[in-house]
Amino acid sequence: MQTTLTALAVITVGYILAYLVFDRVRDRFGYVGGAEYVVIGFLLGPQVTGLLGAGQVQDLTPIVSLALGWLGMLLGTYFRLPAMAVIEPAHLQIAFAEALTTFGCALAALLALFHYVAGYAWPEATVQAVTLAAVATLSSPAAVDAVIRRAGQASPILPVLQLTARIDALIAVAAFGLIVAIFHQGQVSLSVRPPTSTEWAVINLAVGVASGVLFHLFLGPRDHLHEAEGDSRLFVALAGAIVVASGASYYLNLSPIYTNLILGFILANSGSAHRDVTRLLLATERPVYLALLIFAGAAWSPTSRELLFIAPLFVIIRLGARFLGGGLAGGVVAPPPLRNPRLSRALLAQGGIAVALAVNYTQVRPDLNPDVILTATLVSVLLFDIVASREAGEVVARAPAGGSQAEPGPVTGETLAP
Amino acid sequence: MIRRLVVLVLLIGGAILLEPLRAPTEGVIAPRSLFLFGILLLTADTFGALAHDLKLPRLLGYLVAGLALGPSVAGIVPAGVLEDLGMMKRLAVGLIGLLAGAELRLSDLKERHRTIILTVILQMTAVVVAVLGAALLLRQWLPFLQGLESGTLFFVALLFAVLLTVNSPMITLALLTETGARGPLAKTTLGIVLVADVVVILLFTGAFSLAQASLAGTSEGAPQILLGLLREMLGSVIAGAFIGAVVTLYLRFVKRELVLFAVVVVFAAAAAAETLHFEFLLSLLVAGFLVENVAPVRAEPLVDALHQTAVPVFVIFFAMTGAELHVQEFMSVWPLVLVVALARMGAIYGSTKTATRITRAEPAVQRYGWTGLVSQAGVAISLSTIVADRLPVVGLAMQTLAVGVIAFNETLGPILFRRGLERAGEVSVP
Repeated sequence: MQTTLTALAVITVGYILAYLVFDRVRDRFGYVGGAEYVVIGFLLGPQVTGLLGAGQVQDLTPIVSLALGWLGMLLGTYFRLPAMAVIEPAHLQIAFAEALTTFGCALAALLALFHYVAGYAWPEATVQAVTLAAVATLSSPAAVDAVIRRAGQASPILPVLQLTARIDALIAVAAFGLIVAIFHQGQVSLSVRPPTSTEWAVINLAVGVASGVLFHLFLGPRDHLHEAEGDSRLFVALAGAIVVASGASYYLNLSPIYTNLILGFILANSGSAHRDVTRLLLATERPVYLALLIFAGAAWSPTSRELLFIAPLFVIIRLGARFLGGGLAGGVVAPPPLRNPRLSRALLAQGGIAVALAVNYTQVRPDLNPDVILTATLVSVLLFDIVASREAGEVVARAPAGGSQAEPGPVTGETLAP
Repeated sequence: MIRRLVVLVLLIGGAILLEPLRAPTEGVIAPRSLFLFGILLLTADTFGALAHDLKLPRLLGYLVAGLALGPSVAGIVPAGVLEDLGMMKRLAVGLIGLLAGAELRLSDLKERHRTIILTVILQMTAVVVAVLGAALLLRQWLPFLQGLESGTLFFVALLFAVLLTVNSPMITLALLTETGARGPLAKTTLGIVLVADVVVILLFTGAFSLAQASLAGTSEGAPQILLGLLREMLGSVIAGAFIGAVVTLYLRFVKRELVLFAVVVVFAAAAAAETLHFEFLLSLLVAGFLVENVAPVRAEPLVDALHQTAVPVFVIFFAMTGAELHVQEFMSVWPLVLVVALARMGAIYGSTKTATRITRAEPAVQRYGWTGLVSQAGVAISLSTIVADRLPVVGLAMQTLAVGVIAFNETLGPILFRRGLERAGEVSVP
């Protein structure tokens, strides 16, 4: 108990120091931010000071599942069909081309690596490769947002970048959620037949859909709520829906991010509360995100093999896939006014969802190299967060001026700026 | 109504359908517990809305939902899950303690101190006299008084009476949050309940030490218990001052992520209270009070942040409290429960009317002040658990009856207080 107390005190002091130091760095240099909390978690964890023991980190797993669900739901709320319908078709083409190419290239390279080099059988190689390919595909608009905040620039490329980041997140989370369901791990009760891969995929989808419908019914007509109590009731409903969806996913050893992505999508496209839901999720996103980053750092126990070989290899694969995806989408698929083969350089930052996917992997597949996946992800996040802002700044600065400002607001898990 | 029933069917059906898809697993919070916690949360809120439709307090709905899903009725949320989720309830108690302290304004206390102090004194005296009298009269039917010698009989009955002087800060604050009441009745009731909460811990420990010494046939140990209590109270105040100072520094220099910070403060206080043996709730009450009234910073951001979390926190607290109630025990002693509860209510009615008239409180306080003092909940249940744990034979029998009376007051009290607030014209949220 005393250790817990010390750990909480150190976390608080660490958080305050990180806030006092890194916010200034972020404001001055446009640093994307977030990685410092991973470092704080790592310093507190069993690998360095041991203030947070391995058992205590394990105890936090259910809370982390909720945090994962929270981020997944926020991501899902972006995909509001009426808003998507007015997006330029060219923007969508670029975004999907970039996301799918990046994912495909990373997947091919990682499959070859895990199967032919590391010697894993196809199922094991596929699970690990898809997870890392999803992490590689993720990009964060935080770096672009940082450039906008600093320079106030408007450019036709900004909405494209932000949309691409969202589509990247959609492809990555969907791929990860499906692979976890298809190659499901965990025993069922003796009274039922173990579901097949397809059935698990359907169960995963059904949990998300049922949670969305439940939440929609639960909330009812928005005008029934008294204004003063509206937010509190909405918060209960939201928290309840996320706990049910995340709890069900955690219980069934599925991905809470994917389940809540579906829940968020249903919410965004049904009823009249979507604006309030998104506002509330954004307002509570930062603490959830910070808690997740600190946990990821504390749970991180890299070995020298992972640090010296696997993580650098993953960084190289991600860079290669990203440049191929960006080059194809920005240089070939994009129409002439939007053509920009350097598109991928503005999408280097990975952000919170990448950490969330890796943490989720360690929960659902503790039997299959969780440390490798977490190390590769965290090293990649730490590295790209440092360079992403400068690279994005250059891409935006060289892009033709004018055009519309990017849509305000982050995708998810990145709102570290106050 | 139909929509809410469909929600309930979906929630409970979902819980039953998913159950066999995973073999039992263990953990500090088992995977199943998290899922069932969500089911409990949404079911409680749905019952709360149904109660609201029936012009009843929402928290009554939360209690009933907990009771319905809990081990003593449907068993969908078994006792093991409630144990797993104990930290959630502790968090809820801590956050409400911090909020209650911050809601207690020195200016209000100064303005109403005569009414508050006199009501606390008269109410406690009257309840002790009434319940003690009822217990002595009914002693042949009360298992925990049977076979005791006259001296011991008196002290054990006194302990039972003191146990029932406890009010409920949680219910009071929950109803004030739900109704948005901020008038004289709301302020006076909150002041009485919070001051009484501190006094009752002292009273309880005194009565407990006397009963324990009398049952053991010796007076040895009683002074040590009392000294230990005073040390614990002083420790709680010092700890509260320290927590208040930390919160003040945070509000002065950082002032961000206040909800997350409050959660960390509550968990840290809970861990420290366990190690250093001070009263967790009291320390947070003191911390909240000092931040609001003494600290050189504006406490509004913290109070606003705590208000944001209040509704979910109340849902969690009351749903879990409801799930922990044992209906069977209540059914076996209900005639006795009724007599004791009515004696207590009569004492509260008479003493509060007298105290508020003597101090010339506002007419609404004179008329409806008693309605806010009937409720009992968490603190009373905790004290009855202490009695059951430390006085093995007598304590268990006393706990059965005490919990029955507390459950009765927990159900009727909020209804009365809500009616009182409505009639006093202080309800701003319909």
